[in-house]
Amino acid sequence: MNFIHSLQSEWLKTKRSAASWLCIIGGFFIPFIYLIAFLKNQTSINKYPNHIWETHFNELWHNMAIFLLPMGVILASSLITQMEFKNNTWKQLHASPQSYPTIFLSKYSVIFLMTVKFFLFFNIGLILSGLIPCLIVDGALPKEMIPIMAFLKGNVKLFIACMPILAIQYLISLMFKNFLVPVGIGLVGLIGSMIGNSWEYIFLSPYSYCAMQVLPIKRDFNLHVYGLVCFAIISVISYILYIRKKEKG
Amino acid sequence: MNIIETNNLTHRFSEKEIVLNDIAIQVPEGSIYGFLGPNGAGKTTTLKLILGLLKKQQGTISVFGKPFNENRIEILKNIGSLIEAPSLYAHLTASENLLIWQKVFQCPKERINEVLQIVGLENTGKKKAGKFSLGMKQRLSIAVALLHKPSLLILDEPTNGLDPSGIIEMRQLLIKINQEEKVTIVISSHLLMEIEKLVTHIGIINKGSILFQGTLDELHLKQSSYVVFDTNNLEGTTELMNKHNLSPITLNGQVSLATTDKAIISKINAELVNHNIEVYEISIAKNDLESIFIDLTKN
Repeated sequence: MNFIHSLQSEWLKTKRSAASWLCIIGGFFIPFIYLIAFLKNQTSINKYPNHIWETHFNELWHNMAIFLLPMGVILASSLITQMEFKNNTWKQLHASPQSYPTIFLSKYSVIFLMTVKFFLFFNIGLILSGLIPCLIVDGALPKEMIPIMAFLKGNVKLFIACMPILAIQYLISLMFKNFLVPVGIGLVGLIGSMIGNSWEYIFLSPYSYCAMQVLPIKRDFNLHVYGLVCFAIISVISYILYIRKKEKG
Repeated sequence: MNIIETNNLTHRFSEKEIVLNDIAIQVPEGSIYGFLGPNGAGKTTTLKLILGLLKKQQGTISVFGKPFNENRIEILKNIGSLIEAPSLYAHLTASENLLIWQKVFQCPKERINEVLQIVGLENTGKKKAGKFSLGMKQRLSIAVALLHKPSLLILDEPTNGLDPSGIIEMRQLLIKINQEEKVTIVISSHLLMEIEKLVTHIGIINKGSILFQGTLDELHLKQSSYVVFDTNNLEGTTELMNKHNLSPITLNGQVSLATTDKAIISKINAELVNHNIEVYEISIAKNDLESIFIDLTKN
Protein backbone atom coordinates (compact mmCIF):
# COMPACT_ATOMS: atom_id res chain seq x y z
CA MET A 1 0.00 0.00 0.00
CA ASN A 2 2.87 2.39 0.74
CA PHE A 3 3.92 2.29 -2.88
CA ILE A 4 0.40 3.17 -4.05
CA HIS A 5 0.26 6.15 -1.67
CA SER A 6 3.67 7.32 -2.81
CA LEU A 7 2.63 6.93 -6.43
CA GLN A 8 -0.53 8.95 -5.79
CA SER A 9 1.50 11.73 -4.19
CA GLU A 10 4.01 11.70 -7.06
CA TRP A 11 1.19 11.84 -9.60
CA LEU A 12 -0.34 14.85 -7.82
CA LYS A 13 2.92 16.71 -8.30
CA THR A 14 2.54 16.53 -12.07
CA LYS A 15 -0.71 18.51 -11.98
CA ARG A 16 -0.27 21.68 -14.07
CA SER A 17 3.45 20.93 -14.30
CA ALA A 18 5.54 21.68 -17.39
CA ALA A 19 5.83 17.92 -18.03
CA SER A 20 2.06 17.60 -18.01
CA TRP A 21 1.59 20.42 -20.53
CA LEU A 22 4.37 18.98 -22.67
CA CYS A 23 2.52 15.67 -22.68
CA ILE A 24 -0.69 17.26 -23.98
CA ILE A 25 0.91 19.59 -26.51
CA GLY A 26 3.48 17.00 -27.67
CA GLY A 27 0.84 14.29 -27.97
CA PHE A 28 -1.54 16.32 -30.12
CA PHE A 29 0.97 18.34 -32.15
CA ILE A 30 1.60 16.05 -35.14
CA PRO A 31 -2.02 14.81 -35.39
CA PHE A 32 -3.18 18.43 -35.33
CA ILE A 33 -0.81 19.34 -38.20
CA TYR A 34 -2.19 16.39 -40.21
CA LEU A 35 -5.76 17.39 -39.42
CA ILE A 36 -5.15 20.92 -40.67
CA ALA A 37 -3.35 19.61 -43.76
CA PHE A 38 -6.23 17.22 -44.59
CA LEU A 39 -8.83 19.93 -44.16
CA LYS A 40 -6.83 22.51 -46.11
CA ASN A 41 -6.35 20.08 -49.02
CA GLN A 42 -9.93 18.86 -48.73
CA THR A 43 -8.82 15.26 -48.47
CA SER A 44 -8.87 12.43 -45.92
CA ILE A 45 -7.38 9.04 -45.16
CA ASN A 46 -9.93 7.58 -47.55
CA LYS A 47 -7.59 8.70 -50.35
CA TYR A 48 -5.22 5.84 -49.52
CA PRO A 49 -5.89 2.76 -51.67
CA ASN A 50 -5.91 0.25 -48.80
CA HIS A 51 -4.79 -0.24 -45.18
CA ILE A 52 -5.80 3.36 -44.65
CA TRP A 53 -5.37 3.38 -40.88
CA GLU A 54 -2.01 1.57 -40.96
CA THR A 55 -0.77 4.04 -43.56
CA HIS A 56 -1.97 6.98 -41.47
CA PHE A 57 -0.49 5.41 -38.32
CA ASN A 58 2.89 4.82 -39.98
CA GLU A 59 3.05 8.33 -41.44
CA LEU A 60 2.30 10.03 -38.15
CA TRP A 61 4.59 7.79 -36.12
CA HIS A 62 7.33 8.27 -38.69
CA ASN A 63 7.24 12.01 -38.09
CA MET A 64 6.94 11.55 -34.37
CA ALA A 65 9.50 8.83 -33.63
CA ILE A 66 12.56 10.31 -35.31
CA PHE A 67 12.83 13.41 -33.17
CA LEU A 68 9.73 14.49 -31.28
CA LEU A 69 9.10 11.27 -29.32
CA PRO A 70 12.66 10.89 -27.96
CA MET A 71 12.83 14.63 -27.34
CA GLY A 72 9.50 14.51 -25.49
CA VAL A 73 10.73 11.60 -23.36
CA ILE A 74 14.00 13.44 -22.64
CA LEU A 75 12.15 16.57 -21.55
CA ALA A 76 9.36 14.85 -19.60
CA SER A 77 11.63 12.54 -17.59
CA SER A 78 14.05 15.37 -16.87
CA LEU A 79 11.27 17.81 -15.91
CA ILE A 80 9.57 15.38 -13.53
CA THR A 81 12.77 14.45 -11.73
CA GLN A 82 14.16 17.96 -11.72
CA MET A 83 10.94 19.25 -10.14
CA GLU A 84 12.39 18.21 -6.76
CA PHE A 85 15.62 20.12 -7.33
CA LYS A 86 13.81 23.17 -8.67
CA ASN A 87 11.43 23.34 -5.71
CA ASN A 88 14.07 22.37 -3.15
CA THR A 89 11.90 19.42 -2.11
CA TRP A 90 14.28 16.44 -2.19
CA LYS A 91 14.98 16.96 1.51
CA GLN A 92 11.28 17.04 2.38
CA LEU A 93 10.73 13.89 0.35
CA HIS A 94 13.62 12.06 2.01
CA ALA A 95 12.55 13.22 5.47
CA SER A 96 9.14 11.60 4.94
CA PRO A 97 8.38 8.03 6.03
CA GLN A 98 8.96 6.41 2.65
CA SER A 99 11.64 3.85 1.95
CA TYR A 100 14.27 4.80 -0.61
CA PRO A 101 13.21 2.06 -3.06
CA THR A 102 9.62 3.35 -2.82
CA ILE A 103 10.68 6.92 -3.57
CA PHE A 104 12.84 5.75 -6.48
CA LEU A 105 10.17 3.49 -7.94
CA SER A 106 7.20 5.79 -7.49
CA LYS A 107 8.94 8.64 -9.28
CA TYR A 108 10.13 6.27 -12.01
CA SER A 109 6.58 4.94 -12.37
CA VAL A 110 5.18 8.44 -12.76
CA ILE A 111 7.57 9.07 -15.64
CA PHE A 112 6.32 5.82 -17.20
CA LEU A 113 2.71 6.80 -16.64
CA MET A 114 3.39 10.20 -18.15
CA THR A 115 4.88 8.52 -21.22
CA VAL A 116 1.82 6.25 -21.43
CA LYS A 117 -0.36 9.39 -21.20
CA PHE A 118 1.67 10.92 -24.01
CA PHE A 119 1.13 7.78 -26.16
CA LEU A 120 -2.57 7.86 -25.29
CA PHE A 121 -2.97 11.49 -26.34
CA PHE A 122 -1.03 10.83 -29.53
CA ASN A 123 -3.26 7.88 -30.41
CA ILE A 124 -6.42 9.84 -29.65
CA GLY A 125 -5.08 12.64 -31.85
CA LEU A 126 -4.10 10.11 -34.52
CA ILE A 127 -7.61 8.62 -34.63
CA LEU A 128 -9.30 12.04 -34.58
CA SER A 129 -7.03 13.36 -37.33
CA GLY A 130 -8.11 10.37 -39.43
CA LEU A 131 -11.78 10.46 -38.52
CA ILE A 132 -12.65 14.18 -38.59
CA PRO A 133 -11.52 14.87 -42.21
CA CYS A 134 -13.53 11.81 -43.37
CA LEU A 135 -16.64 13.18 -41.70
CA ILE A 136 -16.15 16.76 -42.87
CA VAL A 137 -14.64 16.27 -46.33
CA ASP A 138 -16.20 12.97 -47.40
CA GLY A 139 -19.30 13.18 -45.25
CA ALA A 140 -18.77 9.54 -44.36
CA LEU A 141 -16.87 7.27 -41.99
CA PRO A 142 -13.44 5.94 -42.96
CA LYS A 143 -13.76 3.05 -45.35
CA GLU A 144 -11.93 0.65 -43.02
CA MET A 145 -12.25 -0.19 -39.35
CA ILE A 146 -9.51 0.86 -36.94
CA PRO A 147 -7.08 -2.09 -36.60
CA ILE A 148 -6.82 -1.93 -32.82
CA MET A 149 -4.43 -4.86 -32.42
CA ALA A 150 -2.04 -3.52 -35.05
CA PHE A 151 -2.13 -0.10 -33.37
CA LEU A 152 -1.44 -1.68 -29.98
CA LYS A 153 1.44 -3.72 -31.33
CA GLY A 154 2.98 -0.67 -32.99
CA ASN A 155 2.61 1.37 -29.81
CA VAL A 156 4.21 -1.31 -27.63
CA LYS A 157 7.20 -1.57 -30.00
CA LEU A 158 7.73 2.19 -29.94
CA PHE A 159 7.27 2.29 -26.19
CA ILE A 160 9.97 -0.35 -25.73
CA ALA A 161 12.22 1.60 -28.11
CA CYS A 162 12.00 4.72 -25.95
CA MET A 163 12.37 2.94 -22.58
CA PRO A 164 16.20 3.07 -22.53
CA ILE A 165 16.10 6.85 -23.16
CA LEU A 166 13.70 7.18 -20.27
CA ALA A 167 16.06 5.21 -18.02
CA ILE A 168 19.15 7.21 -19.02
CA GLN A 169 17.38 10.52 -18.55
CA TYR A 170 16.07 9.46 -15.14
CA LEU A 171 19.56 8.46 -14.05
CA ILE A 172 21.13 11.75 -15.18
CA SER A 173 18.28 13.84 -13.74
CA LEU A 174 18.68 12.15 -10.35
CA MET A 175 22.37 12.90 -10.28
CA PHE A 176 22.57 16.50 -11.50
CA LYS A 177 20.90 19.53 -9.97
CA ASN A 178 21.17 21.60 -13.15
CA PHE A 179 18.29 20.96 -15.55
CA LEU A 180 20.51 21.75 -18.53
CA VAL A 181 22.74 18.72 -17.86
CA PRO A 182 20.16 15.96 -18.53
CA VAL A 183 18.54 17.89 -21.36
CA GLY A 184 21.91 18.74 -22.90
CA ILE A 185 23.15 15.16 -22.70
CA GLY A 186 19.86 13.90 -24.10
CA LEU A 187 19.98 16.34 -26.98
CA VAL A 188 23.60 15.48 -27.82
CA GLY A 189 22.76 11.76 -27.69
CA LEU A 190 19.72 12.22 -29.90
CA ILE A 191 21.33 14.45 -32.52
CA GLY A 192 24.48 12.31 -32.52
CA SER A 193 22.36 9.21 -33.15
CA MET A 194 20.47 10.94 -35.96
CA ILE A 195 23.71 11.91 -37.66
CA GLY A 196 25.31 8.51 -37.21
CA ASN A 197 22.30 6.31 -37.95
CA SER A 198 24.15 4.42 -40.67
CA TRP A 199 27.12 3.59 -38.43
CA GLU A 200 27.48 -0.15 -37.87
CA TYR A 201 27.65 0.23 -34.08
CA ILE A 202 24.72 2.63 -33.80
CA PHE A 203 22.90 0.00 -31.72
CA LEU A 204 25.18 1.09 -28.87
CA SER A 205 23.23 4.34 -28.65
CA PRO A 206 19.77 3.86 -27.12
CA TYR A 207 18.84 7.30 -28.49
CA SER A 208 18.72 5.74 -31.98
CA TYR A 209 16.12 3.05 -31.19
CA CYS A 210 12.98 5.14 -31.78
CA ALA A 211 14.15 6.24 -35.23
CA MET A 212 15.24 2.68 -36.07
CA GLN A 213 11.72 1.53 -35.31
CA VAL A 214 10.24 3.64 -38.13
CA LEU A 215 13.12 4.08 -40.60
CA PRO A 216 14.02 1.39 -43.11
CA ILE A 217 17.48 0.88 -41.60
CA LYS A 218 19.01 -2.55 -42.07
CA ARG A 219 19.86 -4.01 -38.67
CA ASP A 220 21.07 -7.42 -37.63
CA PHE A 221 20.02 -7.25 -33.98
CA ASN A 222 16.72 -7.43 -32.17
CA LEU A 223 15.99 -3.83 -31.32
CA HIS A 224 13.39 -4.67 -28.69
CA VAL A 225 15.56 -7.17 -26.83
CA TYR A 226 18.40 -4.64 -26.88
CA GLY A 227 16.02 -1.94 -25.68
CA LEU A 228 14.73 -3.99 -22.77
CA VAL A 229 18.20 -5.20 -21.71
CA CYS A 230 19.57 -1.68 -21.93
CA PHE A 231 16.63 -0.36 -19.90
CA ALA A 232 17.10 -3.02 -17.20
CA ILE A 233 20.85 -2.39 -16.86
CA ILE A 234 20.54 1.39 -16.71
CA SER A 235 17.68 1.13 -14.19
CA VAL A 236 19.79 -1.03 -11.86
CA ILE A 237 22.76 1.38 -12.16
CA SER A 238 20.41 4.27 -11.51
CA TYR A 239 19.06 2.67 -8.36
CA ILE A 240 22.52 1.85 -7.01
CA LEU A 241 23.75 5.40 -7.61
CA TYR A 242 20.62 6.83 -6.00
CA ILE A 243 20.90 4.65 -2.90
CA ARG A 244 24.60 5.41 -2.51
CA LYS A 245 24.12 9.17 -2.70
CA LYS A 246 25.69 10.65 0.43
CA GLU A 247 23.46 13.68 0.61
CA LYS A 248 19.74 13.25 0.11
CA GLY A 249 18.48 16.75 0.32
CA MET B 1 13.42 10.73 28.46
CA ASN B 2 15.45 12.31 25.69
CA ILE B 3 13.61 12.48 22.38
CA ILE B 4 16.85 13.00 20.48
CA GLU B 5 20.23 11.82 21.63
CA THR B 6 23.42 11.93 19.64
CA ASN B 7 26.82 10.70 20.75
CA ASN B 8 30.23 11.25 19.27
CA LEU B 9 28.65 12.56 16.07
CA THR B 10 31.46 13.54 13.75
CA HIS B 11 31.12 14.49 10.11
CA ARG B 12 33.60 15.41 7.43
CA PHE B 13 32.93 16.85 3.99
CA SER B 14 36.51 15.99 3.07
CA GLU B 15 39.54 14.55 4.84
CA LYS B 16 40.62 18.01 6.00
CA GLU B 17 37.25 19.63 6.52
CA ILE B 18 35.66 18.49 9.80
CA VAL B 19 32.17 19.95 9.91
CA LEU B 20 31.03 18.33 13.14
CA ASN B 21 33.27 17.19 15.92
CA ASP B 22 32.03 14.86 18.64
CA ILE B 23 28.54 16.31 18.85
CA ALA B 24 26.50 15.05 21.79
CA ILE B 25 23.10 16.64 22.12
CA GLN B 26 20.17 15.63 24.27
CA VAL B 27 16.72 16.99 23.60
CA PRO B 28 14.35 16.27 26.50
CA GLU B 29 10.78 15.24 25.79
CA GLY B 30 8.34 18.14 25.79
CA SER B 31 11.07 20.77 25.53
CA ILE B 32 11.62 23.54 23.03
CA TYR B 33 15.29 23.11 22.25
CA GLY B 34 17.03 26.09 20.71
CA PHE B 35 19.99 25.05 18.59
CA LEU B 36 22.14 28.12 18.28
CA GLY B 37 25.24 29.01 16.40
CA PRO B 38 26.59 31.43 13.85
CA ASN B 39 26.17 30.73 10.15
CA GLY B 40 28.30 27.77 9.11
CA ALA B 41 28.61 26.43 12.67
CA GLY B 42 27.17 23.02 11.78
CA LYS B 43 23.51 23.40 12.80
CA THR B 44 21.99 22.33 9.48
CA THR B 45 24.46 19.46 9.09
CA THR B 46 23.51 18.17 12.55
CA LEU B 47 19.80 18.41 11.81
CA LYS B 48 20.25 16.78 8.40
CA LEU B 49 22.09 13.89 10.06
CA ILE B 50 19.29 13.51 12.60
CA LEU B 51 16.75 13.31 9.75
CA GLY B 52 18.88 10.92 7.72
CA LEU B 53 19.39 13.42 4.91
CA LEU B 54 23.14 13.00 5.23
CA LYS B 55 24.85 9.68 5.48
CA LYS B 56 26.19 9.23 9.01
CA GLN B 57 29.95 8.74 9.15
CA GLN B 58 30.71 8.40 12.85
CA GLY B 59 28.74 8.36 16.07
CA THR B 60 25.24 7.37 17.12
CA ILE B 61 21.86 8.99 16.65
CA SER B 62 18.78 7.83 18.46
CA VAL B 63 15.34 9.38 18.16
CA PHE B 64 12.42 8.39 20.42
CA GLY B 65 14.91 6.08 22.13
CA LYS B 66 15.58 4.06 18.97
CA PRO B 67 18.62 4.01 16.68
CA PHE B 68 17.75 6.09 13.61
CA ASN B 69 19.16 3.97 10.79
CA GLU B 70 17.41 0.79 11.89
CA ASN B 71 14.07 2.52 12.50
CA ARG B 72 14.12 5.28 9.86
CA ILE B 73 10.55 4.99 8.58
CA GLU B 74 8.94 4.43 11.98
CA ILE B 75 10.80 7.46 13.39
CA LEU B 76 10.04 9.74 10.45
CA LYS B 77 6.30 9.01 10.81
CA ASN B 78 6.42 11.07 13.99
CA ILE B 79 8.66 13.91 12.85
CA GLY B 80 7.69 17.09 11.09
CA SER B 81 10.55 19.04 9.58
CA LEU B 82 11.54 22.22 7.84
CA ILE B 83 15.15 22.33 6.78
CA GLU B 84 16.58 25.63 5.51
CA ALA B 85 14.46 27.22 2.76
CA PRO B 86 10.80 26.21 2.30
CA SER B 87 10.24 23.01 0.32
CA LEU B 88 7.10 23.60 -1.72
CA TYR B 89 5.83 22.79 -5.19
CA ALA B 90 5.60 26.24 -6.72
CA HIS B 91 3.04 25.29 -9.40
CA LEU B 92 0.54 23.99 -6.86
CA THR B 93 -1.76 25.74 -4.38
CA ALA B 94 -1.36 25.52 -0.61
CA SER B 95 -4.06 22.80 -0.37
CA GLU B 96 -2.54 20.81 -3.23
CA ASN B 97 0.89 20.96 -1.59
CA LEU B 98 -0.63 19.59 1.60
CA LEU B 99 -2.59 16.95 -0.30
CA ILE B 100 0.70 15.50 -1.59
CA TRP B 101 1.89 14.93 1.98
CA GLN B 102 -1.55 13.80 3.13
CA LYS B 103 -1.22 10.92 0.67
CA VAL B 104 2.21 10.02 2.04
CA PHE B 105 1.30 10.27 5.73
CA GLN B 106 -2.21 8.91 5.23
CA CYS B 107 -3.67 11.36 7.72
CA PRO B 108 -7.32 12.50 7.51
CA LYS B 109 -8.05 14.98 4.70
CA GLU B 110 -9.68 17.34 7.22
CA ARG B 111 -6.21 18.00 8.62
CA ILE B 112 -5.42 20.04 5.50
CA ASN B 113 -7.92 22.76 6.43
CA GLU B 114 -7.01 22.50 10.09
CA VAL B 115 -3.31 23.19 9.53
CA LEU B 116 -4.08 25.91 6.99
CA GLN B 117 -6.13 27.62 9.68
CA ILE B 118 -3.39 27.12 12.28
CA VAL B 119 -0.87 28.95 10.08
CA GLY B 120 -3.41 31.49 8.80
CA LEU B 121 -3.38 30.47 5.14
CA GLU B 122 -6.97 29.24 4.84
CA ASN B 123 -7.94 32.01 2.42
CA THR B 124 -5.21 31.59 -0.18
CA GLY B 125 -7.59 29.75 -2.54
CA LYS B 126 -6.15 29.07 -5.99
CA LYS B 127 -3.02 31.14 -5.51
CA LYS B 128 0.05 29.09 -6.39
CA ALA B 129 2.70 28.59 -3.72
CA GLY B 130 5.26 30.12 -6.08
CA LYS B 131 3.38 33.44 -5.83
CA PHE B 132 3.45 33.45 -2.02
CA SER B 133 5.64 35.86 -0.05
CA LEU B 134 8.57 34.30 1.80
CA GLY B 135 6.66 34.58 5.07
CA MET B 136 3.67 32.73 3.58
CA LYS B 137 5.97 30.05 2.20
CA GLN B 138 7.51 29.59 5.64
CA ARG B 139 4.06 29.28 7.17
CA LEU B 140 2.96 26.76 4.56
CA SER B 141 6.12 24.77 5.27
CA ILE B 142 5.19 24.76 8.95
CA ALA B 143 1.73 23.54 7.94
CA VAL B 144 3.35 20.67 6.00
CA ALA B 145 5.45 19.84 9.06
CA LEU B 146 2.37 19.84 11.32
CA LEU B 147 0.04 17.97 8.96
CA HIS B 148 0.42 14.49 10.43
CA LYS B 149 0.41 15.63 14.08
CA PRO B 150 4.06 14.76 14.74
CA SER B 151 5.40 14.42 18.26
CA LEU B 152 8.70 16.04 17.25
CA LEU B 153 9.19 19.14 15.11
CA ILE B 154 12.61 19.92 13.67
CA LEU B 155 12.77 23.46 12.32
CA ASP B 156 15.92 24.86 10.80
CA GLU B 157 15.86 28.67 10.90
CA PRO B 158 12.08 28.87 10.40
CA THR B 159 12.00 32.62 10.99
CA ASN B 160 14.29 33.39 8.05
CA GLY B 161 12.66 36.02 5.92
CA LEU B 162 9.87 36.76 8.38
CA ASP B 163 9.10 40.31 9.48
CA PRO B 164 9.01 41.12 13.24
CA SER B 165 5.28 40.47 13.51
CA GLY B 166 5.73 37.21 11.61
CA ILE B 167 8.45 36.18 14.06
CA ILE B 168 6.17 36.93 17.03
CA GLU B 169 3.30 34.99 15.41
CA MET B 170 5.59 32.05 14.72
CA ARG B 171 6.81 32.14 18.33
CA GLN B 172 3.25 32.14 19.68
CA LEU B 173 2.30 29.31 17.33
CA LEU B 174 5.23 27.15 18.41
CA ILE B 175 4.59 27.76 22.12
CA LYS B 176 0.93 26.82 21.58
CA ILE B 177 1.86 23.61 19.73
CA ASN B 178 4.38 22.72 22.41
CA GLN B 179 2.03 23.35 25.32
CA GLU B 180 -1.28 22.18 23.92
CA GLU B 181 -0.21 19.28 21.77
CA LYS B 182 2.88 18.31 23.76
CA VAL B 183 5.09 18.45 20.71
CA THR B 184 8.83 18.54 21.33
CA ILE B 185 10.42 21.21 19.17
CA VAL B 186 14.00 21.63 17.98
CA ILE B 187 14.51 25.04 16.46
CA SER B 188 17.79 26.33 15.09
CA SER B 189 18.76 29.94 14.74
CA HIS B 190 21.82 32.15 14.56
CA LEU B 191 20.15 34.85 16.66
CA LEU B 192 19.69 34.18 20.36
CA MET B 193 17.35 37.12 20.93
CA GLU B 194 15.04 35.67 18.32
CA ILE B 195 14.41 32.49 20.27
CA GLU B 196 15.31 33.25 23.89
CA LYS B 197 11.65 33.99 24.65
CA LEU B 198 10.64 30.67 23.15
CA VAL B 199 13.05 27.97 24.23
CA THR B 200 13.33 25.94 27.43
CA HIS B 201 16.68 24.36 26.54
CA ILE B 202 19.63 25.59 24.55
CA GLY B 203 22.53 24.03 22.70
CA ILE B 204 25.21 26.37 21.39
CA ILE B 205 27.39 25.14 18.56
CA ASN B 206 30.33 26.79 16.87
CA LYS B 207 32.84 25.49 14.35
CA GLY B 208 31.33 22.03 14.65
CA SER B 209 31.61 21.70 18.44
CA ILE B 210 29.02 22.06 21.18
CA LEU B 211 30.02 24.92 23.50
CA PHE B 212 27.08 24.88 25.85
CA GLN B 213 24.08 22.69 26.45
CA GLY B 214 21.50 23.03 29.17
CA THR B 215 18.40 24.85 30.27
CA LEU B 216 17.84 28.53 29.69
CA ASP B 217 18.25 29.07 33.46
CA GLU B 218 21.67 27.42 33.38
CA LEU B 219 22.69 29.79 30.63
CA HIS B 220 21.46 32.72 32.71
CA LEU B 221 23.84 31.66 35.50
CA LYS B 222 26.69 32.42 33.14
CA GLN B 223 25.66 36.04 33.10
CA SER B 224 28.04 38.39 34.90
CA SER B 225 26.88 41.55 36.67
CA TYR B 226 28.49 44.99 36.70
CA VAL B 227 27.76 48.46 38.04
CA VAL B 228 27.24 51.55 35.91
CA PHE B 229 28.02 55.10 37.11
CA ASP B 230 26.37 58.01 35.35
CA THR B 231 28.19 61.26 36.33
CA ASN B 232 28.88 64.75 34.97
CA ASN B 233 32.64 64.10 34.70
CA LEU B 234 33.65 61.00 32.79
CA GLU B 235 37.40 61.59 32.99
CA GLY B 236 37.41 62.42 36.69
CA THR B 237 35.34 59.32 37.45
CA THR B 238 37.66 56.93 35.59
CA GLU B 239 40.76 58.60 37.09
CA LEU B 240 39.39 58.13 40.59
CA MET B 241 38.56 54.49 39.93
CA ASN B 242 42.02 53.86 38.49
CA LYS B 243 43.54 55.24 41.70
CA HIS B 244 41.75 52.43 43.53
CA ASN B 245 43.20 49.84 41.14
CA LEU B 246 39.79 49.17 39.64
CA SER B 247 39.38 48.69 35.88
CA PRO B 248 36.65 51.02 34.69
CA ILE B 249 35.25 50.79 31.18
CA THR B 250 33.69 53.84 29.55
CA LEU B 251 30.77 53.22 27.26
CA ASN B 252 28.01 55.51 25.98
CA GLY B 253 29.06 58.36 28.32
CA GLN B 254 28.91 56.12 31.37
CA VAL B 255 31.51 54.28 33.42
CA SER B 256 31.14 50.57 34.15
CA LEU B 257 32.90 48.51 36.80
CA ALA B 258 33.00 44.73 36.85
CA THR B 259 31.82 44.45 40.45
CA THR B 260 28.66 44.37 42.52
CA ASP B 261 30.47 44.74 45.86
CA LYS B 262 28.34 47.22 47.82
CA ALA B 263 31.27 48.47 49.93
CA ILE B 264 33.28 49.39 46.84
CA ILE B 265 30.29 51.06 45.18
CA SER B 266 29.57 53.09 48.31
CA LYS B 267 33.23 54.11 48.71
CA ILE B 268 33.52 55.23 45.09
CA ASN B 269 30.26 57.14 45.36
CA ALA B 270 31.48 58.98 48.49
CA GLU B 271 34.77 59.91 46.82
CA LEU B 272 33.05 61.13 43.68
CA VAL B 273 30.90 63.44 45.80
CA ASN B 274 33.98 64.62 47.78
CA HIS B 275 35.64 65.50 44.46
CA ASN B 276 32.61 67.56 43.46
CA ILE B 277 31.59 65.12 40.76
CA GLU B 278 27.83 64.96 40.43
CA VAL B 279 26.47 61.41 40.45
CA TYR B 280 23.19 61.12 38.54
CA GLU B 281 22.67 57.39 38.70
CA ILE B 282 24.29 54.18 39.93
CA SER B 283 22.76 51.01 38.55
CA ILE B 284 23.49 47.29 38.46
CA ALA B 285 23.41 45.73 34.98
CA LYS B 286 23.77 42.23 33.56
CA ASN B 287 25.27 40.97 30.35
CA ASP B 288 22.44 40.07 28.04
CA LEU B 289 22.24 36.54 26.69
CA GLU B 290 23.28 37.76 23.27
CA SER B 291 26.66 38.91 24.58
CA ILE B 292 27.19 35.56 26.36
CA PHE B 293 26.42 33.85 23.10
CA ILE B 294 28.86 36.10 21.26
CA ASP B 295 31.52 35.56 23.94
CA LEU B 296 31.07 31.79 23.78
CA THR B 297 31.24 31.64 20.01
CA LYS B 298 34.17 34.09 19.86
CA ASN B 299 36.24 31.96 22.21
